[in-house]
Amino acid sequence: MKSLIHRWLPAATLGIWAGVLLGAFFTGRVKDLLHPMFHIPVLVSGVALLFLAMLAGGRSLEECCDDDACSHSTTKSTAGRLLTFLILIVPVAASALFSPEGYSRTTIENRGIITDAAALGKTNRPAPPRPPETRVYEPPLPNASGIPSPEQVNPADYIPRTESGHYKVEVVDLLYAAQDPTLRADFENKVVEVTGQIMPATSSNPKGDRFKVVRMLMVCCAADARPVAALVESPTKPEIAEMSWVKIVGTATFTIESGRTLTVIKATSVSTTEPPDASMLY
Amino acid sequence: MPWFTFHFQDFAFSFLSVLLEAVPFLLLGSLLSGLVEVFVPAKWFQKIMPHGGLPAVLVSGLLGALLPICECGSVVVVRRLIRKGLPISCAVTYMLAAPIVSPVVALSTWMAFKGQDPGLMTFLRLGLGYGLAVMVGLIMLRIRTERWVQPALLASAAQASRSAMKVAAAPSDLDTLASASVWGRLNLAGRAAVSDFLDVALFLVIGVAITSVFGTAVNQQILTPLATNSFLATPVLMLFAVVLALCSTSDAFIAASLVQWPFVSKLAFLVYGPMFDLKLFFLYGVIFKRRGVIVLALGLFIAVALICTRLEVLRP
Repeated sequence: MKSLIHRWLPAATLGIWAGVLLGAFFTGRVKDLLHPMFHIPVLVSGVALLFLAMLAGGRSLEECCDDDACSHSTTKSTAGRLLTFLILIVPVAASALFSPEGYSRTTIENRGIITDAAALGKTNRPAPPRPPETRVYEPPLPNASGIPSPEQVNPADYIPRTESGHYKVEVVDLLYAAQDPTLRADFENKVVEVTGQIMPATSSNPKGDRFKVVRMLMVCCAADARPVAALVESPTKPEIAEMSWVKIVGTATFTIESGRTLTVIKATSVSTTEPPDASMLY
Repeated sequence: MPWFTFHFQDFAFSFLSVLLEAVPFLLLGSLLSGLVEVFVPAKWFQKIMPHGGLPAVLVSGLLGALLPICECGSVVVVRRLIRKGLPISCAVTYMLAAPIVSPVVALSTWMAFKGQDPGLMTFLRLGLGYGLAVMVGLIMLRIRTERWVQPALLASAAQASRSAMKVAAAPSDLDTLASASVWGRLNLAGRAAVSDFLDVALFLVIGVAITSVFGTAVNQQILTPLATNSFLATPVLMLFAVVLALCSTSDAFIAASLVQWPFVSKLAFLVYGPMFDLKLFFLYGVIFKRRGVIVLALGLFIAVALICTRLEVLRP
């Protein structure tokens, strides 16, 4: 029993944790769970935990934990120690095995769906990146004040395009555009393609012909992710199950309703699609 | 919508994400702790720290700038530092200040609050965090620590102190390690890190589990109307920080996006959150007795709330 508690259970616990971290990294699940800045630390920690697991399995930790001066807070009874390892192993393994790739509708609604970028704070989000296949973009020369005027910047130079020539944007880009006249001019009345999960529009839907396309916007990890949504107006209600991933093609418009500037995509096509590589926006 | 709806899968998703975010920091703290155990002699702290309670506490509050570590890792490091003879007042000051008074936190706060008075927010956050940590350290100097701190930790601290002063005949750990090779020492450091990691990970798991229940099951819309209540906004946002248990290196981005909430409430969120949250409630248990954790939490809560409310009056 001593060997189990002081040697094999610590090694197994560290091994399982290492497996969870490395599994998340190598299966790509880490993209749904964490901001990219944490991906490498997860990999490094997984390797380090694996190394520590081997270290723990190599020799008993007994001399540390049985020392009279030991101030480890966990109980010293055998049952207590077994319970400790149970708490360390079961929730972690269960959450790794049974957690989905995203939140359910209930949690999304519990967090409050944001349709107004003012609720996101001032944007630190850069303009969408230029796709690699486009020509090399030379930035316009600055004017007298040192800043290129909006007229000099052609959005087609930096916003990614689909094969059909539509602007490929994210929900959050449209939300920020609603709050920023310069960005809005880049998108307004342009045909855009947006991917997200479909949810009913329970507000700002006077004629009943709108629904929401929702994405989760993450700052650090999925626990802090908040749902952001654009309204989609479609003459025919799509027969698609709620929370399905959809690709929407339509004209981006911006309208003021109840004092708020809302993004409304007038859809020409709504089709189901595969979830994107990373379900979260960063 | 009901205020509480629990879904296991959502809970598991949130739980896993916070855990994966926290583990690297906890591991870093544990490894650091293991290295301190093996490579730092007990006498070292008595040599480098200023003599006298106040100067030592003041310096401890700034150590986070040299050794930046967030709250998950700092508890492990601090426990080891106490065992190595660092006075408890200094260790607690470092523990509370390090997650706030660090270049990483200063930079992230500045970046997050661009356009929302970033200089003032960064200055107030670091200044208030430092001031409160020093205040707690000075209180620790004047109270009977055996009433608040885990007795086993005090015993090991006393042992370290005695061996440092060469009063006790028992040799320090370092004496027994003197003849060990570097590889042998690293091996011991790794084993000490394993022990510390497992010990503290237990509390992390419990804290993260509770946080994840709140983050997924509770309807957070019920808090929004309180944002405009000048009396309740600050304490409510502080409680929000407690249950969200965010990492101090990135919590500023969340705070900056809470646009409906007053500036000072966000400041309180950013100062109190790294000092006390649900996971820290359990993690602090390795240093303080339960009553010590509760008094620390309540004391800091009242202090932060009062100071931030006062700042609201001063700030137009």
